[in-house]
Amino acid sequence: MNIASYTILGIPNFVLLTIAIIAALVFFVNRVRHLYIVLRIGKEDDRFKEPGERIKAVLKRILLQICVLKDVTRNDLAGIGHATIFYGFLCFAFSYIFMFARGFIPGLSFHLLGGAFAHYFPLILDIAGLLVMTAVIWGLTRRYIVKPPRLELSLEAVLILGWIFSLMLFHFIMEGFEINTDPHEMPTLAFMGAAFAGFFANIETTTQEALFVASWWIHVLLVLGFMVLIPYSKHLHLLLAPFNIYFKSREPKGALVPILDMEEAETFGVCNIEEYTWKQLLDLYCCAHCGRCDINCPAYLSEKPLSPKDLLNDLKVHLLEKASFLLENKNGGDEETKEYEGPSLIGDVISEDKIWACVTCGSCIEQCPVCNEHVQKIIDMRRYLVLMESKFPSEVQVVFKNMENNSNPWGIGWATRADWAKDLGVKIMSDDSDVDILYWVGCAGSFDERNKKISTSLVNIFNKAGVNFGILGAEEKCCGDSARRIGNEYLFQMLAMETIEILKNYNVKKIVTQCPHCFNTLKNEYPQFGGDFEVVHTTEFIMDLIEKGKLKLTKPIDKTVAYHDSCYLGRYNAIYDAPRKILEGIPGINIVEMDRNRNKSMCCGAGGGRMWMEEHLGKRINEMRLQDALDANPNMVCTACPYCLTMFEDAIKEKGVEESLAGKDIVELVEEATA
Amino acid sequence: MNVVVCVKQVPDTESVIKVKPDGSDIITDDLKYVMNPYDEYGVEEALQIKEKFGGSVTILCMGPSRVVETIRTGLAMGADKAIHLDDPALEGGDAFATAKALAEALKGIEYDLVLCGKQAVDDDLSQTGQTLAELLGFPHASLIQKLEIADDNKSATVHCQVEGGLAVLDVSLPAVLTTQKGLNEPRYASLPGIMKAKKKPLDTKDLAALGLSADSVGCAGSKTIITKMTPPPERAAGKVIEGEGPQETVPKLVQLLREEAKVI
Repeated sequence: MNIASYTILGIPNFVLLTIAIIAALVFFVNRVRHLYIVLRIGKEDDRFKEPGERIKAVLKRILLQICVLKDVTRNDLAGIGHATIFYGFLCFAFSYIFMFARGFIPGLSFHLLGGAFAHYFPLILDIAGLLVMTAVIWGLTRRYIVKPPRLELSLEAVLILGWIFSLMLFHFIMEGFEINTDPHEMPTLAFMGAAFAGFFANIETTTQEALFVASWWIHVLLVLGFMVLIPYSKHLHLLLAPFNIYFKSREPKGALVPILDMEEAETFGVCNIEEYTWKQLLDLYCCAHCGRCDINCPAYLSEKPLSPKDLLNDLKVHLLEKASFLLENKNGGDEETKEYEGPSLIGDVISEDKIWACVTCGSCIEQCPVCNEHVQKIIDMRRYLVLMESKFPSEVQVVFKNMENNSNPWGIGWATRADWAKDLGVKIMSDDSDVDILYWVGCAGSFDERNKKISTSLVNIFNKAGVNFGILGAEEKCCGDSARRIGNEYLFQMLAMETIEILKNYNVKKIVTQCPHCFNTLKNEYPQFGGDFEVVHTTEFIMDLIEKGKLKLTKPIDKTVAYHDSCYLGRYNAIYDAPRKILEGIPGINIVEMDRNRNKSMCCGAGGGRMWMEEHLGKRINEMRLQDALDANPNMVCTACPYCLTMFEDAIKEKGVEESLAGKDIVELVEEATA
Repeated sequence: MNVVVCVKQVPDTESVIKVKPDGSDIITDDLKYVMNPYDEYGVEEALQIKEKFGGSVTILCMGPSRVVETIRTGLAMGADKAIHLDDPALEGGDAFATAKALAEALKGIEYDLVLCGKQAVDDDLSQTGQTLAELLGFPHASLIQKLEIADDNKSATVHCQVEGGLAVLDVSLPAVLTTQKGLNEPRYASLPGIMKAKKKPLDTKDLAALGLSADSVGCAGSKTIITKMTPPPERAAGKVIEGEGPQETVPKLVQLLREEAKVI
């Protein structure tokens, strides 16, 4: 059947096809161009270094479908459906080249690529089509009947899924008519096409020819329509996710972006959408509303107003609403800058409650298939509120002052920082800096009664293993993690720079920290200000001592232990195995895993400076996390973070389960096992 | 409304205070200094008055060069300018000598109101504000928790904390008021505020500029003399009463309260 020379109302088909393609391209290109121009409103951000690694990440995430397959679980198999549709679509995308080309070139067929290809490809297409249709029906069933919590009942999803289903259906129909009107020498392997051909067999040949052209046209229009639909819908991720993954940050996960020109800048943080970088705006385009962020977000799960998914989508809607105003003001340079009369970013679009609800646990980023970076956006708004407006939960002011005046959030006299170690014979660097290791105690380990015991245990372990170590004593300051994550970049940088200078003066090479927040800040953020030290977490350090035979875990501890992954140790620094291996090495210990573990571990509720804020809204995050632990039925929950331990022990007391569940730091268990 | 806030720099309340071996003073090495917390209420109130009525806020502070940091804190919060009284002769003064220097510094400045913290948390004398009012010949009210300025800026209604209640007073302006917790929530300086504070006018005056003689201020001009400082006696450790349940512990407690503590 020669589609190219077929005429409709005397007009050759190829002319009509050209018109259709141009029309679709006009809509498509126009929208994409607009999205691009809007994106360019964003601030500069260098995301171009290391192209090789970036391409690798794109190939891995997309071609291998790691983006969605990484988190397929028994309860959430949707990733398989996505991969099915993706691979099916790849096959069809290839076949569409032929379908469109046939509209221009008479006699073009799969034979162009050889007889074998022409013979087998239709079979592959039919299988793919059938699988895609199955996946679509499964998808619709899930979304509208099973209703998993992360999905919304949007009409857009029905439209898209229906569209994909129709594309497959019309492929089969078209194939059926083609088999009947243009019989091949060899029997076709396209079993679906053959089935439809059989179904249409009794229709007259000329009618079938017309119907073939009609179904070809419907198919062509569906494809063109789909192309237009993409940039207008959440399916924009089809087009842009590869770019978003390519431009993903290559900085350490745990490092926030620094404000570099603090003395010169006039504004700090973000209170207008256009103050985000282009990459932050690209994130907004890429969100596919899959909700993986939401169902792993402690704030969302504990019924706080924040939903990472809604955050991005509200920002996207706001961006596109404000775009015309921004573009107008950008181009018309001679006019006075007009005030935008639409909704304000902070307050109207994103409420302050949402901004303060985030625990910066990084789970949204970890789970996002398209590599969106949510946390920095929230921190940027916090920076505006804190640095420009001095607006933050009232209880935070005293924390800032405490850090300023006494270099610790509790506000205990700075000179007493090393009092916990008075009777332990610990070297203080100012007395004797000839040490191999600097033990960075951290504020919790120095001032919090419960955590001081852990510091003492660690000193005992160091002594047992013959580690030559020292502490900074009263010269140690808060690392600034909470200050930075609350948005007080100025205070953070002051603390960081003072500490870096002290560490450099002592020519410190290797630092061991017990607190994952200190660990992350010293390791990943201090290099931003010239502080390059080897920073090791206690769990890694202890594991090393055990492997070298310097520490022997001999004394049994007969407990069933659930290990809780701290966000800043696990998700941000990928330390999942060291603590588990240590526990496995302790005789008698039976390890159980909570449902949410490793990179899906749920925050204790204290991250992102939330340690210092009241929890007025929703449920208590630490009590929810305690429930996770109780569900695993241990008699001990083990942490490797002072905040996590505090949050757990508070929840244990609150729920009155002290009898059945104890909270311990891994350091205490190691000390006990080496006794 | 032009408001002057008298501000003192004091050791941070969490500082470990040690007395010199000869008892003449405390050891000031390693002390972290902050703005006297009660003065912060004064600065905040002045800023709120300025926001409502316009005018200016001036910080007035006496002390060695280290107090500039505290002055900058006030300027970062939003005060417009500052006067720094810096002269070795001013050191060691009691409330009277201090008030005298402050009163002298206020001469030649236009102001409608002077605010002081109710007391400084270092020596806790609680006299400077009142003495200053006396020297200036203005009315004063202490421990204010609420301040309402009349629309004509000629008078104010203040709520003062008194034992067992509140005294509501009308005062004519200018006046000297001492501020107390509960008056407001002092703001946290914004970063642009901190940056701007570095460039705000700071007028440093020595004794000559004040026109005072060395024997009338500082230690020499004081009405009181510190003869010796001693740290308070160390508190004895608390006692935990051991026993099974209240039946056992309560009688023991009663016995101890009666025989050892002699309070019942």
